[in-house]
Amino acid sequence: MHLYEVLRRPLITEKNTAIQAPQGKYAFKVGAEANKEQIKQAVEKAFNVGVIQVNVMTVPGKERRLRGRWVMSPSWKKAIVTLKPGDKIELFGGV
Amino acid sequence: MKVTREKTENSQAFLRIEMEPAEVEESLEQSYQRLAKKANIPGFRKGKAPRVVLERYIGKDSLLEDALNNLLPQAYEKALKEQEIEAIANPSIEIAQTDPVVFKATVPLKPTIELGDYQQIRLAPEPVELTEDEVNTVIEQLRRQHATWEPVERPADFDDLVALDIESHIEEKPFINQQGVQYQILHDQPLPVPGFAEQLSGMKGGEEKEFKLKLPEDYSRAELAGKEARFKVRVSEIKQQRLPELDDEFASLVNPDLKTLDSLRERISANLRLMAEEKAKREFEERVVEAVVDSSQVEFPPVLVEMEIARLFDQQARQLQTSNIGLEEYLGRVGKTEEELREELRPLAIKRVTSSLVLGRTAEEEKIEVSDAEINAELENMVQSVTGNKDEVKKRLDSPQARDSIGQLLATRKTIQRLVEIAGGSTNARKK
Repeated sequence: MHLYEVLRRPLITEKNTAIQAPQGKYAFKVGAEANKEQIKQAVEKAFNVGVIQVNVMTVPGKERRLRGRWVMSPSWKKAIVTLKPGDKIELFGGV
Repeated sequence: MKVTREKTENSQAFLRIEMEPAEVEESLEQSYQRLAKKANIPGFRKGKAPRVVLERYIGKDSLLEDALNNLLPQAYEKALKEQEIEAIANPSIEIAQTDPVVFKATVPLKPTIELGDYQQIRLAPEPVELTEDEVNTVIEQLRRQHATWEPVERPADFDDLVALDIESHIEEKPFINQQGVQYQILHDQPLPVPGFAEQLSGMKGGEEKEFKLKLPEDYSRAELAGKEARFKVRVSEIKQQRLPELDDEFASLVNPDLKTLDSLRERISANLRLMAEEKAKREFEERVVEAVVDSSQVEFPPVLVEMEIARLFDQQARQLQTSNIGLEEYLGRVGKTEEELREELRPLAIKRVTSSLVLGRTAEEEKIEVSDAEINAELENMVQSVTGNKDEVKKRLDSPQARDSIGQLLATRKTIQRLVEIAGGSTNARKK
Protein backbone atom coordinates (compact mmCIF):
# COMPACT_ATOMS: atom_id res chain seq x y z
CA MET A 1 0.00 0.00 0.00
CA HIS A 2 1.40 3.33 -1.04
CA LEU A 3 2.00 5.95 1.61
CA TYR A 4 -0.18 8.45 -0.21
CA GLU A 5 -3.18 6.19 0.22
CA VAL A 6 -2.77 5.94 3.96
CA LEU A 7 -3.88 9.38 5.18
CA ARG A 8 -7.30 10.27 3.80
CA ARG A 9 -8.02 13.52 5.59
CA PRO A 10 -7.62 15.15 8.98
CA LEU A 11 -10.62 15.01 11.28
CA ILE A 12 -11.44 18.48 12.49
CA THR A 13 -14.14 18.30 15.09
CA GLU A 14 -14.79 19.86 18.42
CA LYS A 15 -13.34 16.94 20.31
CA ASN A 16 -10.30 16.56 18.11
CA THR A 17 -9.34 20.22 18.09
CA ALA A 18 -9.61 20.19 21.87
CA ILE A 19 -6.85 17.57 22.22
CA GLN A 20 -4.56 18.89 19.50
CA ALA A 21 -2.57 21.57 21.24
CA PRO A 22 -2.61 20.34 24.88
CA GLN A 23 -1.82 16.70 24.17
CA GLY A 24 -0.20 16.81 20.77
CA LYS A 25 -2.75 14.32 19.39
CA TYR A 26 -4.10 14.60 15.89
CA ALA A 27 -6.90 12.58 14.38
CA PHE A 28 -7.07 11.41 10.77
CA LYS A 29 -9.30 9.33 8.67
CA VAL A 30 -7.04 6.68 7.20
CA GLY A 31 -7.30 3.98 4.61
CA ALA A 32 -9.02 0.87 5.92
CA GLU A 33 -6.02 -1.36 5.18
CA ALA A 34 -3.41 0.93 6.71
CA ASN A 35 -1.57 -0.25 9.79
CA LYS A 36 -0.03 1.74 12.61
CA GLU A 37 3.47 1.59 11.15
CA GLN A 38 2.32 2.95 7.81
CA ILE A 39 0.34 5.72 9.47
CA LYS A 40 3.38 6.71 11.49
CA GLN A 41 5.56 6.92 8.43
CA ALA A 42 2.95 8.79 6.45
CA VAL A 43 2.44 11.45 9.12
CA GLU A 44 6.15 11.88 9.70
CA LYS A 45 6.75 12.31 6.00
CA ALA A 46 3.76 14.49 5.18
CA PHE A 47 4.05 16.97 8.05
CA ASN A 48 7.73 16.63 8.89
CA VAL A 49 7.13 15.82 12.54
CA GLY A 50 8.02 13.00 14.92
CA VAL A 51 5.39 10.44 15.91
CA ILE A 52 5.60 8.58 19.23
CA GLN A 53 2.33 6.69 19.26
CA VAL A 54 -0.48 5.72 16.91
CA ASN A 55 -3.87 4.49 18.08
CA VAL A 56 -6.27 3.16 15.51
CA MET A 57 -9.89 2.18 15.67
CA THR A 58 -12.50 1.13 13.20
CA VAL A 59 -15.55 3.35 13.24
CA PRO A 60 -18.49 1.15 12.38
CA GLY A 61 -20.81 2.28 9.66
CA LYS A 62 -24.29 3.38 10.56
CA GLU A 63 -27.67 2.34 9.28
CA ARG A 64 -29.03 4.93 6.92
CA ARG A 65 -32.17 5.03 4.88
CA LEU A 66 -31.61 5.04 1.18
CA ARG A 67 -34.62 5.07 -1.15
CA GLY A 68 -36.80 3.53 1.50
CA ARG A 69 -34.33 0.75 2.32
CA TRP A 70 -32.03 0.54 5.28
CA VAL A 71 -28.42 0.35 4.19
CA MET A 72 -25.15 0.46 6.05
CA SER A 73 -22.83 3.36 5.49
CA PRO A 74 -19.31 2.08 5.13
CA SER A 75 -17.10 1.53 8.15
CA TRP A 76 -13.85 3.46 8.21
CA LYS A 77 -10.64 3.62 10.14
CA LYS A 78 -9.68 6.44 12.44
CA ALA A 79 -6.16 7.02 13.69
CA ILE A 80 -5.10 9.22 16.59
CA VAL A 81 -1.45 10.14 16.24
CA THR A 82 0.54 11.42 19.21
CA LEU A 83 3.41 13.67 18.20
CA LYS A 84 6.69 14.25 19.93
CA PRO A 85 6.29 16.96 22.56
CA GLY A 86 6.76 20.34 20.87
CA ASP A 87 5.87 19.19 17.36
CA LYS A 88 2.82 20.68 15.69
CA ILE A 89 0.75 20.18 12.59
CA GLU A 90 -1.00 23.11 10.98
CA LEU A 91 -4.25 21.48 10.00
CA PHE A 92 -5.74 23.87 7.53
CA GLY A 93 -6.56 21.26 4.96
CA GLY A 94 -10.08 20.92 3.59
CA VAL A 95 -12.57 21.06 6.40
CA MET B 1 -6.21 55.48 16.66
CA LYS B 2 -4.78 58.28 14.60
CA VAL B 3 -7.06 60.83 13.05
CA THR B 4 -5.90 63.32 10.48
CA ARG B 5 -8.07 65.88 8.85
CA GLU B 6 -7.01 66.00 5.27
CA LYS B 7 -9.02 68.89 4.03
CA THR B 8 -12.30 70.69 4.34
CA GLU B 9 -14.29 71.84 1.38
CA ASN B 10 -17.91 72.27 0.42
CA SER B 11 -18.77 72.05 4.09
CA GLN B 12 -17.40 68.55 4.16
CA ALA B 13 -14.52 67.36 6.26
CA PHE B 14 -12.35 64.59 4.88
CA LEU B 15 -10.96 62.49 7.70
CA ARG B 16 -8.31 59.82 7.51
CA ILE B 17 -8.56 57.46 10.43
CA GLU B 18 -5.92 54.87 11.09
CA MET B 19 -6.72 52.13 13.59
CA GLU B 20 -4.18 50.56 15.92
CA PRO B 21 -3.81 46.79 15.33
CA ALA B 22 -4.74 46.13 18.97
CA GLU B 23 -8.05 47.90 18.55
CA VAL B 24 -8.78 45.91 15.43
CA GLU B 25 -7.79 42.70 17.19
CA GLU B 26 -10.17 43.40 20.03
CA SER B 27 -12.98 43.97 17.62
CA LEU B 28 -12.08 40.82 15.69
CA GLU B 29 -12.30 38.83 18.90
CA GLN B 30 -15.74 40.23 19.61
CA SER B 31 -16.88 39.48 16.10
CA TYR B 32 -15.57 35.93 16.45
CA GLN B 33 -17.50 35.44 19.66
CA ARG B 34 -20.66 36.65 18.07
CA LEU B 35 -20.33 34.89 14.74
CA ALA B 36 -19.23 31.59 16.31
CA LYS B 37 -22.54 31.43 18.13
CA LYS B 38 -24.36 31.44 14.84
CA ALA B 39 -22.03 29.53 12.55
CA ASN B 40 -23.07 26.00 11.79
CA ILE B 41 -19.81 24.16 11.21
CA PRO B 42 -19.83 20.37 10.79
CA GLY B 43 -18.06 18.67 13.66
CA PHE B 44 -18.76 21.48 16.08
CA ARG B 45 -21.65 22.52 18.21
CA LYS B 46 -22.72 26.13 17.76
CA GLY B 47 -20.39 28.55 19.45
CA LYS B 48 -17.78 25.85 20.13
CA ALA B 49 -15.62 26.20 17.05
CA PRO B 50 -12.18 27.65 17.74
CA ARG B 51 -11.27 30.87 16.01
CA VAL B 52 -8.89 29.29 13.46
CA VAL B 53 -11.59 26.90 12.38
CA LEU B 54 -14.16 29.66 12.11
CA GLU B 55 -11.77 31.76 10.06
CA ARG B 56 -11.25 28.84 7.71
CA TYR B 57 -14.93 28.25 7.45
CA ILE B 58 -16.36 31.72 6.87
CA GLY B 59 -13.20 33.28 5.54
CA LYS B 60 -10.85 35.70 7.19
CA ASP B 61 -12.17 38.60 5.16
CA SER B 62 -15.74 38.26 6.20
CA LEU B 63 -14.68 38.12 9.83
CA LEU B 64 -12.70 41.30 9.30
CA GLU B 65 -15.59 42.90 7.53
CA ASP B 66 -17.91 42.14 10.40
CA ALA B 67 -15.39 43.47 12.87
CA LEU B 68 -14.95 46.67 10.90
CA ASN B 69 -18.66 47.19 10.57
CA ASN B 70 -18.81 47.28 14.31
CA LEU B 71 -15.62 49.13 14.82
CA LEU B 72 -16.06 51.93 12.32
CA PRO B 73 -19.06 53.70 13.79
CA GLN B 74 -17.40 53.76 17.19
CA ALA B 75 -14.12 54.92 15.77
CA TYR B 76 -15.93 57.52 13.72
CA GLU B 77 -17.70 58.89 16.77
CA LYS B 78 -14.43 59.08 18.63
CA ALA B 79 -12.71 60.76 15.72
CA LEU B 80 -15.42 63.38 15.56
CA LYS B 81 -14.98 64.11 19.23
CA GLU B 82 -11.25 64.29 18.87
CA GLN B 83 -11.46 66.69 15.95
CA GLU B 84 -14.33 68.58 17.52
CA ILE B 85 -16.43 68.22 14.44
CA GLU B 86 -20.16 68.37 14.46
CA ALA B 87 -21.71 66.25 11.75
CA ILE B 88 -25.21 66.89 10.53
CA ALA B 89 -25.81 63.68 8.67
CA ASN B 90 -24.38 60.25 8.18
CA PRO B 91 -20.90 60.25 6.72
CA SER B 92 -19.80 58.24 3.76
CA ILE B 93 -17.06 55.90 4.89
CA GLU B 94 -14.61 54.20 2.64
CA ILE B 95 -12.11 51.61 3.71
CA ALA B 96 -8.80 52.51 2.14
CA GLN B 97 -6.68 49.60 3.34
CA THR B 98 -6.96 46.81 5.86
CA ASP B 99 -3.45 46.28 7.13
CA PRO B 100 -3.25 48.43 9.16
CA VAL B 101 -6.87 49.41 8.92
CA VAL B 102 -7.22 52.86 7.44
CA PHE B 103 -10.50 54.38 6.47
CA LYS B 104 -11.61 57.66 5.07
CA ALA B 105 -14.73 59.39 6.20
CA THR B 106 -16.42 62.24 4.42
CA VAL B 107 -18.31 64.12 7.06
CA PRO B 108 -21.03 66.57 6.14
CA LEU B 109 -20.62 69.63 8.27
CA LYS B 110 -23.04 72.24 9.33
CA PRO B 111 -23.66 74.58 6.44
CA THR B 112 -22.03 77.95 6.69
CA ILE B 113 -24.41 80.76 6.00
CA GLU B 114 -23.19 84.29 5.59
CA LEU B 115 -26.23 86.44 5.52
CA GLY B 116 -25.95 89.40 3.24
CA ASP B 117 -27.00 92.81 4.36
CA TYR B 118 -30.64 91.97 4.07
CA GLN B 119 -31.60 94.98 6.15
CA GLN B 120 -30.64 97.13 3.22
CA ILE B 121 -32.71 95.34 0.67
CA ARG B 122 -35.40 97.61 -0.59
CA LEU B 123 -37.93 96.40 -3.04
CA ALA B 124 -41.28 97.74 -3.97
CA PRO B 125 -44.20 95.51 -4.71
CA GLU B 126 -45.56 95.71 -8.23
CA PRO B 127 -48.52 98.05 -8.18
CA VAL B 128 -51.75 96.32 -8.89
CA GLU B 129 -53.53 97.72 -11.88
CA LEU B 130 -56.90 96.75 -13.06
CA THR B 131 -58.12 97.91 -16.44
CA GLU B 132 -61.66 98.28 -17.58
CA ASP B 133 -60.87 95.72 -20.29
CA GLU B 134 -60.25 92.94 -17.81
CA VAL B 135 -63.60 93.53 -16.17
CA ASN B 136 -65.24 93.60 -19.56
CA THR B 137 -63.64 90.31 -20.53
CA VAL B 138 -65.05 88.65 -17.45
CA ILE B 139 -68.48 90.08 -18.12
CA GLU B 140 -68.30 88.90 -21.70
CA GLN B 141 -67.46 85.41 -20.48
CA LEU B 142 -70.39 85.51 -18.10
CA ARG B 143 -72.66 86.55 -20.94
CA ARG B 144 -71.55 83.60 -23.01
CA GLN B 145 -72.08 81.29 -20.08
CA HIS B 146 -75.60 82.52 -19.63
CA ALA B 147 -76.41 82.72 -23.32
CA THR B 148 -79.62 81.16 -24.58
CA TRP B 149 -80.18 79.49 -27.93
CA GLU B 150 -83.12 80.36 -30.11
CA PRO B 151 -84.17 78.69 -33.34
CA VAL B 152 -83.87 80.91 -36.41
CA GLU B 153 -85.10 80.66 -39.97
CA ARG B 154 -81.99 81.59 -41.93
CA PRO B 155 -78.90 79.90 -43.36
CA ALA B 156 -76.49 78.66 -40.72
CA ASP B 157 -73.62 80.93 -39.91
CA PHE B 158 -70.55 80.69 -37.73
CA ASP B 159 -71.22 80.62 -33.96
CA ASP B 160 -74.57 78.99 -34.61
CA LEU B 161 -75.62 75.74 -33.06
CA VAL B 162 -77.06 73.24 -35.50
CA ALA B 163 -78.77 69.90 -35.05
CA LEU B 164 -77.32 67.42 -37.54
CA ASP B 165 -77.74 63.94 -38.88
CA ILE B 166 -74.38 62.77 -40.11
CA GLU B 167 -73.62 59.83 -42.30
CA SER B 168 -70.09 59.36 -43.51
CA HIS B 169 -67.88 56.72 -45.10
CA ILE B 170 -64.26 56.21 -45.73
CA GLU B 171 -63.62 53.81 -48.58
CA GLU B 172 -67.08 52.27 -48.16
CA LYS B 173 -66.55 51.72 -44.47
CA PRO B 174 -68.79 53.66 -42.09
CA PHE B 175 -66.93 56.47 -40.37
CA ILE B 176 -69.27 58.67 -38.31
CA ASN B 177 -72.96 57.93 -38.27
CA GLN B 178 -75.01 59.90 -35.79
CA GLN B 179 -78.49 61.30 -35.60
CA GLY B 180 -79.50 64.60 -34.05
CA VAL B 181 -76.05 65.82 -33.02
CA GLN B 182 -75.71 69.29 -31.57
CA TYR B 183 -72.81 71.00 -33.28
CA GLN B 184 -71.56 74.52 -32.87
CA ILE B 185 -70.04 75.94 -36.00
CA LEU B 186 -66.82 77.61 -35.00
CA HIS B 187 -63.91 78.96 -37.01
CA ASP B 188 -60.94 76.59 -37.29
CA GLN B 189 -62.71 73.83 -35.46
CA PRO B 190 -60.60 70.70 -36.04
CA LEU B 191 -63.42 68.32 -35.08
CA PRO B 192 -64.56 66.01 -36.45
CA VAL B 193 -62.44 66.87 -39.49
CA PRO B 194 -60.87 70.21 -40.39
CA GLY B 195 -63.10 71.99 -42.89
CA PHE B 196 -66.27 70.39 -41.60
CA ALA B 197 -67.51 73.54 -39.90
CA GLU B 198 -66.88 75.63 -43.04
CA GLN B 199 -68.98 73.21 -45.09
CA LEU B 200 -71.91 73.65 -42.76
CA SER B 201 -72.05 77.42 -42.87
CA GLY B 202 -74.64 78.68 -45.29
CA MET B 203 -76.83 75.60 -45.07
CA LYS B 204 -80.54 76.09 -44.47
CA GLY B 205 -82.81 74.23 -42.12
CA GLY B 206 -83.86 70.90 -43.59
CA GLU B 207 -81.19 71.06 -46.30
CA GLU B 208 -79.09 68.02 -47.21
CA LYS B 209 -75.56 68.21 -48.50
CA GLU B 210 -72.84 65.82 -49.58
CA PHE B 211 -69.19 66.72 -49.57
CA LYS B 212 -65.75 65.17 -49.36
CA LEU B 213 -63.01 66.03 -46.89
CA LYS B 214 -59.48 64.81 -46.57
CA LEU B 215 -58.43 63.63 -43.14
CA PRO B 216 -55.22 65.23 -41.86
CA GLU B 217 -51.97 63.29 -41.99
CA ASP B 218 -51.66 63.36 -38.22
CA TYR B 219 -55.16 62.09 -37.54
CA SER B 220 -55.45 60.38 -34.17
CA ARG B 221 -56.49 57.08 -35.75
CA ALA B 222 -53.37 56.33 -37.74
CA GLU B 223 -55.01 53.84 -40.11
CA LEU B 224 -57.38 56.56 -41.38
CA ALA B 225 -54.89 59.41 -41.62
CA GLY B 226 -54.69 61.12 -44.98
CA LYS B 227 -57.74 59.30 -46.40
CA GLU B 228 -60.74 60.92 -47.95
CA ALA B 229 -64.08 60.79 -46.20
CA ARG B 230 -67.48 61.24 -47.85
CA PHE B 231 -69.99 63.06 -45.72
CA LYS B 232 -73.73 63.30 -46.07
CA VAL B 233 -75.28 65.70 -43.61
CA ARG B 234 -78.80 66.92 -43.01
CA VAL B 235 -79.36 70.05 -40.99
CA SER B 236 -82.59 69.81 -39.09
CA GLU B 237 -82.46 72.89 -36.94
CA ILE B 238 -80.42 76.05 -36.70
CA LYS B 239 -80.14 77.95 -33.46
CA GLN B 240 -78.67 81.32 -32.87
CA GLN B 241 -76.81 82.31 -29.79
CA ARG B 242 -78.52 85.11 -27.94
CA LEU B 243 -76.37 86.81 -25.38
CA PRO B 244 -78.24 88.28 -22.42
CA GLU B 245 -78.54 92.06 -22.42
CA LEU B 246 -76.21 93.89 -20.14
CA ASP B 247 -78.73 95.10 -17.64
CA ASP B 248 -79.74 94.62 -14.04
CA GLU B 249 -81.61 91.49 -14.94
CA PHE B 250 -78.38 89.94 -16.21
CA ALA B 251 -76.72 90.81 -12.93
CA SER B 252 -79.28 88.99 -10.89
CA LEU B 253 -79.10 86.08 -13.31
CA VAL B 254 -75.41 85.74 -12.51
CA ASN B 255 -75.86 86.16 -8.82
CA PRO B 256 -79.30 86.49 -7.21
CA ASP B 257 -77.82 88.73 -4.50
CA LEU B 258 -76.88 91.40 -7.00
CA LYS B 259 -79.62 93.77 -8.06
CA THR B 260 -77.91 96.08 -10.48
CA LEU B 261 -75.36 95.80 -13.24
CA ASP B 262 -73.14 98.28 -11.46
CA SER B 263 -72.98 96.14 -8.38
CA LEU B 264 -72.01 93.17 -10.55
CA ARG B 265 -69.26 95.23 -12.12
CA GLU B 266 -68.10 96.23 -8.68
CA ARG B 267 -68.11 92.67 -7.45
CA ILE B 268 -66.11 91.48 -10.44
CA SER B 269 -63.52 94.18 -10.19
CA ALA B 270 -63.19 93.61 -6.45
CA ASN B 271 -62.59 89.92 -7.04
CA LEU B 272 -60.13 90.58 -9.80
CA ARG B 273 -58.31 93.08 -7.67
CA LEU B 274 -58.13 90.61 -4.80
CA MET B 275 -56.69 87.95 -7.04
CA ALA B 276 -54.21 90.34 -8.59
CA GLU B 277 -53.14 91.59 -5.19
CA GLU B 278 -52.72 88.07 -3.92
CA LYS B 279 -50.59 87.24 -6.92
CA ALA B 280 -48.56 90.42 -6.59
CA LYS B 281 -47.98 89.69 -2.93
CA ARG B 282 -46.77 86.20 -3.66
CA GLU B 283 -44.49 87.41 -6.38
CA PHE B 284 -43.17 90.15 -4.17
CA GLU B 285 -42.45 87.68 -1.39
CA GLU B 286 -40.65 85.47 -3.82
CA ARG B 287 -38.59 88.37 -5.08
CA VAL B 288 -37.67 89.45 -1.57
CA VAL B 289 -36.63 85.96 -0.57
CA GLU B 290 -34.65 85.62 -3.75
CA ALA B 291 -32.90 88.92 -3.11
CA VAL B 292 -32.02 87.87 0.42
CA VAL B 293 -30.77 84.52 -0.78
CA ASP B 294 -28.76 86.14 -3.53
CA SER B 295 -27.08 88.49 -1.12
CA SER B 296 -26.05 85.63 1.14
CA GLN B 297 -23.16 83.27 0.89
CA VAL B 298 -24.20 79.72 1.56
CA GLU B 299 -22.05 76.67 1.59
CA PHE B 300 -23.52 73.31 2.39
CA PRO B 301 -22.57 69.67 2.01
CA PRO B 302 -23.99 67.91 -1.08
CA VAL B 303 -25.79 65.41 1.13
CA LEU B 304 -28.43 67.99 1.89
CA VAL B 305 -29.23 68.30 -1.78
CA GLU B 306 -29.37 64.54 -2.14
CA MET B 307 -31.76 64.36 0.79
CA GLU B 308 -33.94 67.08 -0.67
CA ILE B 309 -33.98 65.34 -4.03
CA ALA B 310 -35.04 62.13 -2.36
CA ARG B 311 -37.82 64.00 -0.59
CA LEU B 312 -39.07 65.70 -3.71
CA PHE B 313 -38.92 62.43 -5.55
CA ASP B 314 -40.94 60.65 -2.89
CA GLN B 315 -43.44 63.44 -2.93
CA GLN B 316 -43.87 63.14 -6.65
CA ALA B 317 -44.16 59.38 -6.45
CA ARG B 318 -46.86 59.70 -3.81
CA GLN B 319 -48.72 62.23 -5.89
CA LEU B 320 -48.64 59.88 -8.83
CA GLN B 321 -49.89 57.12 -6.61
CA THR B 322 -52.92 59.11 -5.56
CA SER B 323 -53.71 59.93 -9.16
CA ASN B 324 -53.66 56.21 -9.85
CA ILE B 325 -50.63 56.27 -12.06
CA GLY B 326 -47.75 54.20 -10.84
CA LEU B 327 -44.30 55.70 -10.87
CA GLU B 328 -43.19 53.17 -13.44
CA GLU B 329 -46.02 54.04 -15.74
CA TYR B 330 -45.36 57.74 -15.42
CA LEU B 331 -41.70 57.28 -16.20
CA GLY B 332 -42.64 55.22 -19.21
CA ARG B 333 -45.03 57.90 -20.39
CA VAL B 334 -42.59 60.77 -20.21
CA GLY B 335 -39.82 58.50 -21.45
CA LYS B 336 -37.39 59.06 -18.64
CA THR B 337 -35.49 56.87 -16.27
CA GLU B 338 -35.68 57.31 -12.54
CA GLU B 339 -32.15 58.68 -12.60
CA GLU B 340 -33.01 61.37 -15.12
CA LEU B 341 -36.00 62.43 -13.11
CA ARG B 342 -33.88 62.74 -10.01
CA GLU B 343 -31.31 64.73 -11.96
CA GLU B 344 -34.05 67.05 -13.14
CA LEU B 345 -35.07 67.74 -9.59
CA ARG B 346 -31.55 68.77 -8.68
CA PRO B 347 -31.70 72.49 -9.51
CA LEU B 348 -34.98 72.82 -7.65
CA ALA B 349 -33.56 70.93 -4.70
CA ILE B 350 -30.49 73.16 -4.60
CA LYS B 351 -32.67 76.24 -4.65
CA ARG B 352 -34.90 74.94 -1.89
CA VAL B 353 -32.01 73.93 0.33
CA THR B 354 -30.33 77.29 -0.07
CA SER B 355 -33.41 79.33 0.59
CA SER B 356 -34.48 77.24 3.55
CA LEU B 357 -31.01 77.59 5.07
CA VAL B 358 -30.99 81.32 4.51
CA LEU B 359 -34.48 81.71 5.89
CA GLY B 360 -33.65 79.60 8.91
CA ARG B 361 -30.65 81.75 9.60
CA THR B 362 -32.63 84.92 9.12
CA ALA B 363 -35.17 83.67 11.60
CA GLU B 364 -32.42 83.24 14.15
CA GLU B 365 -31.05 86.64 13.36
CA GLU B 366 -34.44 88.26 13.69
CA LYS B 367 -35.30 86.21 16.76
CA ILE B 368 -38.43 84.83 15.26
CA GLU B 369 -40.18 82.38 17.48
CA VAL B 370 -43.38 80.48 17.20
CA SER B 371 -45.42 80.03 20.33
CA ASP B 372 -47.48 76.98 21.21
CA ALA B 373 -50.61 79.06 20.94
CA GLU B 374 -49.80 79.95 17.36
CA ILE B 375 -49.24 76.34 16.51
CA ASN B 376 -52.54 75.44 18.10
CA ALA B 377 -54.31 78.10 16.12
CA GLU B 378 -52.78 76.92 12.85
CA LEU B 379 -53.64 73.36 13.72
CA GLU B 380 -57.23 74.30 14.35
CA ASN B 381 -57.23 76.16 11.07
CA MET B 382 -55.95 73.16 9.18
CA VAL B 383 -58.47 70.86 10.80
CA GLN B 384 -61.29 73.20 9.87
CA SER B 385 -60.28 73.29 6.24
CA VAL B 386 -60.34 69.53 5.97
CA THR B 387 -63.47 67.83 4.84
CA GLY B 388 -64.13 64.46 6.35
CA ASN B 389 -63.28 63.06 9.69
CA LYS B 390 -62.04 66.06 11.61
CA ASP B 391 -61.27 64.24 14.82
CA GLU B 392 -59.05 61.77 13.09
CA VAL B 393 -57.19 64.46 11.22
CA LYS B 394 -56.74 66.34 14.42
CA LYS B 395 -55.34 63.33 16.17
CA ARG B 396 -52.89 62.77 13.37
CA LEU B 397 -51.78 66.37 13.33
CA ASP B 398 -51.40 66.59 17.08
CA SER B 399 -48.29 64.43 17.22
CA PRO B 400 -45.02 66.05 18.29
CA GLN B 401 -43.51 65.65 14.82
CA ALA B 402 -46.48 67.20 13.09
CA ARG B 403 -46.51 70.06 15.56
CA ASP B 404 -42.85 70.52 14.89
CA SER B 405 -43.31 70.78 11.17
CA ILE B 406 -46.24 73.14 11.60
CA GLY B 407 -44.04 75.26 13.82
CA GLN B 408 -41.40 75.32 11.12
CA LEU B 409 -43.94 76.26 8.52
CA LEU B 410 -45.14 79.14 10.66
CA ALA B 411 -41.61 80.27 11.40
CA THR B 412 -40.83 80.37 7.70
CA ARG B 413 -43.99 82.28 7.03
CA LYS B 414 -43.19 84.78 9.74
CA THR B 415 -39.66 85.17 8.51
CA ILE B 416 -40.84 85.92 5.01
CA GLN B 417 -43.32 88.34 6.48
CA ARG B 418 -40.56 90.11 8.37
CA LEU B 419 -38.34 90.25 5.31
CA VAL B 420 -41.15 91.68 3.27
CA GLU B 421 -41.69 94.33 5.90
CA ILE B 422 -38.02 95.20 5.93
CA ALA B 423 -37.76 95.31 2.17
CA GLY B 424 -40.94 97.30 1.88
CA GLY B 425 -39.49 99.74 4.42
CA SER B 426 -42.56 99.59 6.59
CA THR B 427 -40.69 98.39 9.67
CA ASN B 428 -37.42 99.67 10.91
CA ALA B 429 -34.97 96.85 10.98
CA ARG B 430 -34.37 95.52 14.40
CA LYS B 431 -30.94 96.31 15.74
CA LYS B 432 -28.78 93.30 16.27
